[in-house]
Amino acid sequence: MIVRTTSLTKRYGDFAALDGCSLEVSAGEIFGLLGPNGAGKTTLLRVLLGYLMPTSGSGTVAGFDCASRSLDVRANTAYLPGEARLFRRMNGHAVLDFFAGLRPECRRDVATRVADRLGLDCSRQVARMSTGMRQKLALAVVLATEVPLVILDEPTANLDPTARSEVLALVREARAAGRTVIFSSHVLSEVEETCGHVVIMRSGRVVHEQSIEALRRGHRIHAHLRGAFPGVPAEFAGRLTAAAGDDGRIVMETDEPLAPLLGWLATLSLVEIRVEPVGLQAVYDRFHRSA
Amino acid sequence: MDMSDTNAIAAGRGAIWSAAVWRKTWGDQRILLLSFAALWTVFPWLYLWLSAQIPMPAFQNVLLQVIPEDWQKLSGVPFSEVATYAGRVALAFVDPVVVLAATVWGITRGSDAVSGQLERGTMEMLLAAPVRRTAVFLTQALATTAAAALLCGVLLASVWSVVTFGPWAGKVEPWRFIPAAANVFGLMVCMGGITACVSAIDSYRWRTVGIMCGFYVTTLLAKLVGRLSGSLGWVGYLSVFNAYEPQRLVGGGPEAWRLLGQYDGILLGIGVAAYILGAVIFSRRDLPAPL
Repeated sequence: MIVRTTSLTKRYGDFAALDGCSLEVSAGEIFGLLGPNGAGKTTLLRVLLGYLMPTSGSGTVAGFDCASRSLDVRANTAYLPGEARLFRRMNGHAVLDFFAGLRPECRRDVATRVADRLGLDCSRQVARMSTGMRQKLALAVVLATEVPLVILDEPTANLDPTARSEVLALVREARAAGRTVIFSSHVLSEVEETCGHVVIMRSGRVVHEQSIEALRRGHRIHAHLRGAFPGVPAEFAGRLTAAAGDDGRIVMETDEPLAPLLGWLATLSLVEIRVEPVGLQAVYDRFHRSA
Repeated sequence: MDMSDTNAIAAGRGAIWSAAVWRKTWGDQRILLLSFAALWTVFPWLYLWLSAQIPMPAFQNVLLQVIPEDWQKLSGVPFSEVATYAGRVALAFVDPVVVLAATVWGITRGSDAVSGQLERGTMEMLLAAPVRRTAVFLTQALATTAAAALLCGVLLASVWSVVTFGPWAGKVEPWRFIPAAANVFGLMVCMGGITACVSAIDSYRWRTVGIMCGFYVTTLLAKLVGRLSGSLGWVGYLSVFNAYEPQRLVGGGPEAWRLLGQYDGILLGIGVAAYILGAVIFSRRDLPAPL
């Protein structure tokens, strides 16, 4: 595990920004971090990187304790903050030179290539760049840093669709190069498209963990029956969840192959049936629709 | 990348110095440095040219016979010493142009150290790199102090040139003003250190500047109260300006150097202690996300 947290907590007085958060990130995967504003995603990342000291619990990155070995943690990490702000008096080239000079793992030639791929004009002064251009510049710095762990906090915010696609491609390339990526985002489609594993956070806690592979196997079946629902047959017990309404409408979910299930459904007196992939949105909504 | 590679890199990152931060700080303070250098180049020439418009006998007449003797308390030295060529040149060092510029330098650069960068959000990307907070803080402090020394060198060079080639050429030895310029340097380090310490606690630059403006006014008033009130004379010792008396340092001889050692011992001592305290505070505090 490249990242491991155990009951990690950050409190401000009575308010817990991070409340007993425990999770594990395997090396070499793209790990999605989901949750609405205030769920604790950024606090978790800031505690891991040593900006904030945990109130209790522990966290390690690349085997180093995030509270006592922050320098070693950061030596193994490249971090894109949620709102990356760079030195306004410098131009893009000077910013890339600065970070390449600050840490040897930041490869200046790679940064130039990333900036080119994102269509960024590095000759422009940061103060005269749009928010999206500044985001691209920060991404060039972070993605050019050759470290085992890359942490991206909302990396595609403020970007145009072309740049978004390019960033997602760069994230996949980072993973192909053996790096681990923690990808925090509000854009569920991007997370579903890119990540291998996701956690959903709410009120500073991890409330759900989900493998994207399992998610892709998952289907939701909306059926409308003429008569009463006879219940889930024993052969599907534990593999199919069903919620029946009073009007003969029923919603079922399964992670299993659909073929045997469809055979059973064909025996029911159906008025209407609709089958759809569960999708990350549906999983997310289970935890946050009412929030 | 092998994790052990980056761990090895991290192992060499214990320094409290960063060349990249050093270069960046010089870039950040470049405009202010050039502006103050220009001001302190022109000011002594302008000041002495204007002073020379009043002939020495007339000046002595006003100072020694018209102004009440009690007012000597404010000058810090007997009027008989002020009414000399060296004394009149020395008044340039207590002119608001010099005192305010030295204070503004300390407050401006000191407030940028932490709260300025937190407010702008640029500290976030900087500290994502494996660089010690102490290194960021102390490297900036060194660059600011070096620039202060440079400015005092400019001031001294300008005074030296006007004393050598100006309206009172040959009437006073230019080396007499070395201790006075060194006293200005002490004030700059003191104000810079105190401001950097406040900045290390704070998260908003405007508030840091406000606190320091209040400190400046308070400490100036404390000096005046201490000077003017017999019973409240001890209040003067609470003021850092009690150790800023360049007009007392132009007499030449060992006494001037002894006094300088005393004054700059206090000013540099407070400044360096404040920088060290600020570094400790900054290295231990939580850093909030940029607003």
